[in-house]
Amino acid sequence: MSNATDQHVLLNATGLTKTYRMGGEDLHVLQGLDIQIRRGQWLAILGSSGSGKSTLLHVLGGLDRPTQGEVVFDNQAIFSLSGARLDRYRNRHVGFVFQFYHLLPELNVVENVLIAAMAGQSIVGWSRTRVEARSRAEQLLNRLGLSHRLHHRPAKLSGGERQRVAIARALINEPDVLLADEPTGNLDATTGDQILEVLGEFHRAGQAIVMVTHDQRIAQFADQTVVLESGRLVGAK
Amino acid sequence: MYKLLLIFKYLRRKLAPLFAALAVTLCTAMVIIVISVMGGFLQLMRESAQRLTGQVTIGSDLSGFPHHQELVDELDQLPEVAAATAMVRAYGLINMFNRVHTIEVVGVDPKSFDDVTNYRDTLYWTNQHLLDDLERTLPPIDKMTQRQRAMYESSMQQYQRVDLRDLGMSFTPLHQPLNQPPLPGIVLGIEVSPYNRRDEQGKYHLSVSPLNTELTLTVLPLTLRGTVMEPAVRRMVVANEFKSGLYEIDANRVYVPFDLLQQMLRMDAAEEADPDTGQPTGRTLPSRASEIMLRGQDMVSLDQLNRAVTAKVEQFVGARSGMPPLWVQTWQQRHATLLGAVEKEKMLLTFLFAIISVVAVAMIGVIFYMIVLEKTRDIGVLRAIGASRGGIMSIFLGYGLVIGCLGAGLGTALAAAIVYHINEIQDFLTVYFNFTMWDPSVYYFDKVPSRLDPLETTLIAVMAVLSSLAGSLIPAYTAGRVDPVESIRYE
Repeated sequence: MSNATDQHVLLNATGLTKTYRMGGEDLHVLQGLDIQIRRGQWLAILGSSGSGKSTLLHVLGGLDRPTQGEVVFDNQAIFSLSGARLDRYRNRHVGFVFQFYHLLPELNVVENVLIAAMAGQSIVGWSRTRVEARSRAEQLLNRLGLSHRLHHRPAKLSGGERQRVAIARALINEPDVLLADEPTGNLDATTGDQILEVLGEFHRAGQAIVMVTHDQRIAQFADQTVVLESGRLVGAK
Repeated sequence: MYKLLLIFKYLRRKLAPLFAALAVTLCTAMVIIVISVMGGFLQLMRESAQRLTGQVTIGSDLSGFPHHQELVDELDQLPEVAAATAMVRAYGLINMFNRVHTIEVVGVDPKSFDDVTNYRDTLYWTNQHLLDDLERTLPPIDKMTQRQRAMYESSMQQYQRVDLRDLGMSFTPLHQPLNQPPLPGIVLGIEVSPYNRRDEQGKYHLSVSPLNTELTLTVLPLTLRGTVMEPAVRRMVVANEFKSGLYEIDANRVYVPFDLLQQMLRMDAAEEADPDTGQPTGRTLPSRASEIMLRGQDMVSLDQLNRAVTAKVEQFVGARSGMPPLWVQTWQQRHATLLGAVEKEKMLLTFLFAIISVVAVAMIGVIFYMIVLEKTRDIGVLRAIGASRGGIMSIFLGYGLVIGCLGAGLGTALAAAIVYHINEIQDFLTVYFNFTMWDPSVYYFDKVPSRLDPLETTLIAVMAVLSSLAGSLIPAYTAGRVDPVESIRYE
């Protein structure tokens, strides 16, 4: 990754440490970790349970603050941004996909996708972009094979369908990078592979993806894999 | 925008917030109903009190004051005064149905007294009233015996000829005792007669009323020095009865003609006698009255009226020798004890119910807190997709606001429905469950009084919305503080 030129670097994280205090003892989840994410890259971060891979993903996405270190996006250190601008960073530039989908049960499929578009808009702004956002959501869902499920609520969907809705939600704001946390961890192998194929499709269209997994087989779908062990990157595969 | 969507969705898909809205609804309705009934009760009392004493009363002691007619005329000239009337007040004994009891006797000039107090409207027996009562006591017209029919028809004819209220106004009894010179009429308070009883509808019945009954009235005249003279006794016939709305008055007061009471009390104009020799001095002592009552013009405040009248009275008394000191009181001052008690009661009840309503705030707090706990994961997801802490807080505050508005709106509507139909509800409870919450024979007013004050109602509704917002404050703050990483870590 060090050979990447600056203009290709999307996210540059340096010296990331994350320490939790648990049961009176310090738990060092990340220990001085450096990582760069390039545009259009599909990077898999492979690590066993408790290796700090989810924490790393949350830090990269601006959801969790590192104890030390910084993540630079677009020449801006994201953790020195104001709260509102950090929220905007999460809304516009990254998209999260979680292992357990985390869809909002009260909303139907299309609303679950649109909520991410709404979150970055005022009422006035939303009234201007509503039609466009809706058509983009429908296109995305159509591309994900969910056009017949637009008005169904998550409880009516299968695991694979739910994860595809979650992917659509993550992509609705056309983020620079998709951060996927064990996206197939809750699915059977076939469905999991389908999800990975979907991610592959978006990646081929230019979408940068960072995916964390404990499964080497799944990591193989990515362009590049790095291994996280005890809070440090120990090598690339 | 997502906030509105979520507020709407959470509202539609969850039962708990509806319970919160129900709590707000019930508390709002409860406070509005209590305030409306107590307010209506107070208003009726105030109207009754004002009706009895006009707006301002001028008076001296029981021996009265002279030049009352001049004072009335001068007061009538004041731009603030709409009407004034002089009265004589005394205490005496009434002997009716061979029972004697003490009574307050008020001598009035019915015409001017009516101008000040709407006296005519307080006269209970009207022709329609009598006919209704007659029809209730007699069988249907086709089933009447000949005698009943004759009685009914003669009554009908009689009541078509005269107006019972006119008879009350002129103190003219409908029937006079046979073979005797005509007796003067007297108007009794409706509760004076021991046989008058209000039924469940708060109505009195002619069959037991003392209308046209002969009675004896005894009063004690006082000398100017305040000593008691020979009692004056008059036989009189009941011409009508009045119902002012205040039990104490209706049970203890009778009205008689002004001149008659003046004569009985020896307060009419008389030739002065030398106290030592008992010989006439050739001078005339003017007639006396004990009180003057006033009604102000519509646009004049009670305070303005009181000031104008006080100034006039001071000037009047100052200009004449031999005038005793006169006091001037507004109706509020005269009835301060009675009205003050009800006002305090209203405040106390409102306060108590407002405290109960705090329970609703706590309930909203608990329900919202539960919702926040249940929604912790969703909050984390929303933070992950870019929602701010403030945004998350405003979802729950907005939720509280909507619940508050919904509850306050429904509560106001429910309260209005109950307040406007409170008498029908009371009738229903009486008929089907034999439960009488408002007994007219106890509370004196025929109907449950109620008055929906728009200002008070709006204030209560706004308070309900604010309470609901207050209830959602802590849960909203908690929601804003949710750690997104923790909340989305697990399923």
